[in-house]
Amino acid sequence: MKLPLSAVLAILLAGFAGGQNPGNQQPSVIMAPVGQVQLRAGASTNVEMAFRIGEGFHINSSKPHSDFLIPTQLKLSVPAQVTLADVKYPAGKDESFPFSPNEQLSVYTGDFSIDAVLKTPAQATLGVYPVKGELTYQACDKAACYPPKTLPVQFQVMIVKK
Amino acid sequence: MLAFGKYLDRTRKHSATKMVGNVQGIQAPDFELVSLDGRKVKLSDYRGKAVLLNFWATWCPPCKIEMPWFVDLQNRYAKDGLVVLGVAMDDSEPGKISEFAHEMGVNYPVLLGTDQVSDDYGDVQYLPTTFYIDREGRIVAKAAGLFDRKQVEDDVKKALSGRNSLASGSDQTAQVAPEKKKEAVR
Repeated sequence: MKLPLSAVLAILLAGFAGGQNPGNQQPSVIMAPVGQVQLRAGASTNVEMAFRIGEGFHINSSKPHSDFLIPTQLKLSVPAQVTLADVKYPAGKDESFPFSPNEQLSVYTGDFSIDAVLKTPAQATLGVYPVKGELTYQACDKAACYPPKTLPVQFQVMIVKK
Repeated sequence: MLAFGKYLDRTRKHSATKMVGNVQGIQAPDFELVSLDGRKVKLSDYRGKAVLLNFWATWCPPCKIEMPWFVDLQNRYAKDGLVVLGVAMDDSEPGKISEFAHEMGVNYPVLLGTDQVSDDYGDVQYLPTTFYIDREGRIVAKAAGLFDRKQVEDDVKKALSGRNSLASGSDQTAQVAPEKKKEAVR
């Protein structure tokens, strides 16, 4: 049985107290494990990566409304057998916060997912390959902001016959 | 500079543990930083003045709220001996920080922050964070996070008067006073 991503995150977060004491606690973003991704030679596949932001915090979306704000970005390093065709970010939610009620910020809160589209040529060598990368984000709570952070991301891709 | 960039990969050191916790009455650590206009600026250059030392970043929306207040306070209290110093804890190029400060109408020196000054002031990771320093270089108040304007002005007055904060100063994190925070943004 495959658990939904939200359930996986819920299990991972049992006891996670992110955001209960903003200002005294660093913001946290965690990622649900990605199982081994199967990719048929000559085809493409969509890899969904699910993240959860600690309660009480928000992070900028991938397209914040100001050039001064730091966007959420996923960078992946793929093996030579694989091409990263696209990275699909969710749309941010426009929200205003107590520190600036007249300004709308494009943010993620709670759970969000980023999709990576992987492709491989028909003549790719079959096998299992690591994909590594990092998610860069910058979080704030309702009164202050924290320095940008990175979260390591990794999973495996298994290239199989067509 | 890369003040916060280095935070991404390194283990933090705490070279000034005395700056953790209640810092009222402690001598503010001296520093020498480079300003946006290329000058070397020491905190000790301002001995005899009250200093509002504000750590901020261009990517910090709450920091933007305070800046007009600091501009106004600088205008009103400079004659009494107030100096506002901004410390930008950015990875951005100085040109971008300068552009931001110009857009915000900043009329006080902006210094380029370093990991060292962050460490010296207790590992400043929660922005904005502001230290209010009296004429003898003692910290009379610290505000971590955004507070209301009245609190800011009250702390400026404490710094100007040199009242020792051990009795009357503040050392707060913003969420401790949510009602004041709400008041700040009305």
